[in-house]
Amino acid sequence: MTNDTPLLEARGISKYFGHVVALEDISMDVRPGEVMCLLGDNGAGKSTLIKTFSGVHQPTEGTLLIDGEEVLLNSPRDAIDRGIATVYQDLAMIPLSGISRNFFLGREPTKGVGPFKRFDVAKADQVTREELKKIGIELRDTSQPVSTLSGGERQSVAIARAVHFGAKVLILDEPTSALGVKQAAIVLRYIAHAKEQGLGIIFISHNVYHAYPIGDRFTVLERGRSIGTFEKDEISIEELERQMAGGAELEELNAELQGSRPSGSEGSANGKSD
Amino acid sequence: MAQSTTGEETRVREVGVLRRWLTRPELAAVAGAILVFAFFAVVAGDSGFLTGGGTATYLEVAAQLGIVAVPVSMLMIAGEFDLSVGSMVGAAGMIIAIAVSQYGWPLWAAVLLSFLVALGVGFFNGYVVIKTGLPSFIVTLGMLFALRGLTIGFARLLTARTQIGLGDAGSGSLLTSIFAGSIGVFSASIIWWLVLALLGTWVLQRMVFGNWIFGVGGDAIAARNVGVPVNRVKIALFMCTALSAALLAAIQVLDAGSADVLRGELVELQAIAAAVIGGVLLTGGYGSVIGALFGALIFGMVQQGIFFTGVSTDWFQVFVGVMLLVAVLFNNIIRKRASEAR
Amino acid sequence: MMERGFSRRDFLKAGCAGIAGAAVFGAAGCGGGPETEGAGVAGLTSRKDIRLVMVTHGSASDPFWSVVQNGLKQASKDLGVEVEYRAPESLDVVDIQKNMEAAIASEPSGIAMTVVDPDALSDLARQATGKGIPIVVLNTGQEVWEEVGAITYVGQTEYDAGVEAGKRMAEAGVESALCINQEQGNVALEDRCNGFSEGLGGNVKELAVQGTDPTAAQNAIKTELNNNSDVDGMLTLGPQGAIPALQALKSTGKGQALKFATFDLAPEVLQAVRDGDLLFAIDQQQFLQGYLPITFLTTYVQYGVSPVNEVATGPRFVTRQDANDVIDLTKQGIR
Repeated sequence: MTNDTPLLEARGISKYFGHVVALEDISMDVRPGEVMCLLGDNGAGKSTLIKTFSGVHQPTEGTLLIDGEEVLLNSPRDAIDRGIATVYQDLAMIPLSGISRNFFLGREPTKGVGPFKRFDVAKADQVTREELKKIGIELRDTSQPVSTLSGGERQSVAIARAVHFGAKVLILDEPTSALGVKQAAIVLRYIAHAKEQGLGIIFISHNVYHAYPIGDRFTVLERGRSIGTFEKDEISIEELERQMAGGAELEELNAELQGSRPSGSEGSANGKSD
Repeated sequence: MAQSTTGEETRVREVGVLRRWLTRPELAAVAGAILVFAFFAVVAGDSGFLTGGGTATYLEVAAQLGIVAVPVSMLMIAGEFDLSVGSMVGAAGMIIAIAVSQYGWPLWAAVLLSFLVALGVGFFNGYVVIKTGLPSFIVTLGMLFALRGLTIGFARLLTARTQIGLGDAGSGSLLTSIFAGSIGVFSASIIWWLVLALLGTWVLQRMVFGNWIFGVGGDAIAARNVGVPVNRVKIALFMCTALSAALLAAIQVLDAGSADVLRGELVELQAIAAAVIGGVLLTGGYGSVIGALFGALIFGMVQQGIFFTGVSTDWFQVFVGVMLLVAVLFNNIIRKRASEAR
Repeated sequence: MMERGFSRRDFLKAGCAGIAGAAVFGAAGCGGGPETEGAGVAGLTSRKDIRLVMVTHGSASDPFWSVVQNGLKQASKDLGVEVEYRAPESLDVVDIQKNMEAAIASEPSGIAMTVVDPDALSDLARQATGKGIPIVVLNTGQEVWEEVGAITYVGQTEYDAGVEAGKRMAEAGVESALCINQEQGNVALEDRCNGFSEGLGGNVKELAVQGTDPTAAQNAIKTELNNNSDVDGMLTLGPQGAIPALQALKSTGKGQALKFATFDLAPEVLQAVRDGDLLFAIDQQQFLQGYLPITFLTTYVQYGVSPVNEVATGPRFVTRQDANDVIDLTKQGIR
């Protein structure tokens, strides 16, 4: 465990779009070297929350802190400059372009000066090859199109890119949702590796079975509100799943339908009920 | 094909070198060019197609289209279309002729003016596309009509004519040799074409701007998120297409000694066709300038080839259309065969 | 003279004479409405109320029709009448029909029109004359102007002009010729080539080129000339064909052996005639085709008079002797 100042913290963040409440009073944080899983069913607000973290949206209320300092992120570029890297589901990879071209898009290494300044393709290839090796992909030719990689590999390359360019916080939006088990395993292994390097990782998923093995803490969102943040040793997979599926509500519904049935106990240390 | 080595999970097929050469966007266009050339060599070989003079005729036509096809293909790789280039050719030519013959401007100043106007039109195209978010297809289509209309309107307003000569201003001028001169039977436009194609390839393959073009065409939002100045890239490319149209106009005006309001008709579609034959995807993000070079070559051969075959020119358009379709299909088959990566 | 005082009867006579005189004067003055300065004859209506519509198949970007329009505008200015010009961008008879219908519906004083497709347009012409709108046919429609009830015809049929051109070329010794069509699909141009073929005696090959691309046209003509060594004559149908053809001739070096002529004028064309590169250029004087219909319609509407026969405006052959004089007029868009 390193120092305890969260890399990224949300305090009382709310986001309204007109009269639509997308987020209401969300507080959560991620510390160095930990994986914080952000869980919730579809429409819970995960997407809006990470867009707020990555500078696409600005919170209507509440504050965002980076390294303990209050900040206002006006654009995605702002977030990137401060070390918050987001890997969206579409990966931001151009399938028909080469792997190293993709890796260095927007941050191309150059050689030469003035009108002779050119894209240092050799260096880009070399660095890409090294980075890919670190995540276990060995290629002789990094100008192969990205489409020649499998889904899990592409996801890993996207993460490796973020890490290489100095991300301190990695926000991964449903990285394993479109992958099969074996491919998902590749990605999870790489996330563990990144975690060891001291990055803070926010892992968004609606699949508890992928999130649970890798997560250290879990925040569950439901309809724009946080149901609670749980340490791994405080909660089981089954309980998490129940929470995500609207556990308390389902219990009530069950009770209504079946007459009077005693509801199960809600065990949560610092959870808030609706 | 080598296998990678880390665990059974990671199995990336190393695509063999030969395979990858076959999937290069240009190669299919080269194959198409060879096919078309072979066709004419067989069918019309004894009527001058294979002579130096004959070659010069289709090379000149290919070169003039190619000059515009280079930036048009780069713009298409970035995901946008410019349908106004044809009208720009007509407009730029008119500007030169009117400035020289009506207002007595020196030739170099008139040409410079036409280039500046072209840059302005290109900037306008790009700016409107970006600000409104409308498809560039529509914006530049509107420009196609507007520019052509302005050309006709102003030509008749200022000169009461639609075809305007340069008079004596063109003969003997250095500019005329630069733009419309020739080396032996081969016209200067061929050199312009090759130079532009090399320049375009250099930018695409070796410059940061080129990587940005691919990025913008592949996924503009993602590119913007990693800091690529998407708007600047697009506007710059629109300015380049317009400028190339003005260059073509200058070449044609200095060669023919006159301008005409209808010059450049259909050039926009021909340039897109040349780019597509050359491997540029209509959806953007992929393609090459060398491919467009061969696409223009195919176009030139097909357009001029009919005159060597002796077939009645009534069938000219059928001829062009059919040969183009064949070239594109052939191109497609080769690329599909070779690119079984997934 | 007997001096006697004015009697009441004298006064009455003088008064009646004066009133009658004033009435005559007044009638003469009121007859034609507000008088223009120095206008001699009042007629049935006044110039200011005359609005004429010209409906043709010639687009604004065509150099030939550009001159027609100049004639139209000059007539409008000279005669003091209002004119409108309607033509589609490219030859499309359906568009012309719509233009004609709109013109008739607007109830003009008269319509000048070309009848490029008699099947499609004769009925509309008769509809107009049926409604009392006088018509003058110009340029195309020489065979039908009488049956549709037009007042007269102004122009020159393309076919006849082609025949004349062919005859002249045959006189100059041409036996086998090329006819270069720079705009396929243009009926007028096809008529020119067909007439040329008849006039020359049959040995004519028609070559279509893309008039809007001078380089392609030039190279096409070059190739054709190189492959056809027994061609000794060439006719182009407009400046868009003539100018590339001149260049092709220059680069193949066949200028001397080949007799070359063209339809329609342009400064470059006339310079070539003057320098001997072109045998002749055919001037249809289409300026008159724009000017005269307006004149005839105006005089008909206002004074009820019109020519009894058709008015031929061409062909006028411009040869080396007169080329120089014509050049300036061409630059102004008059010839």
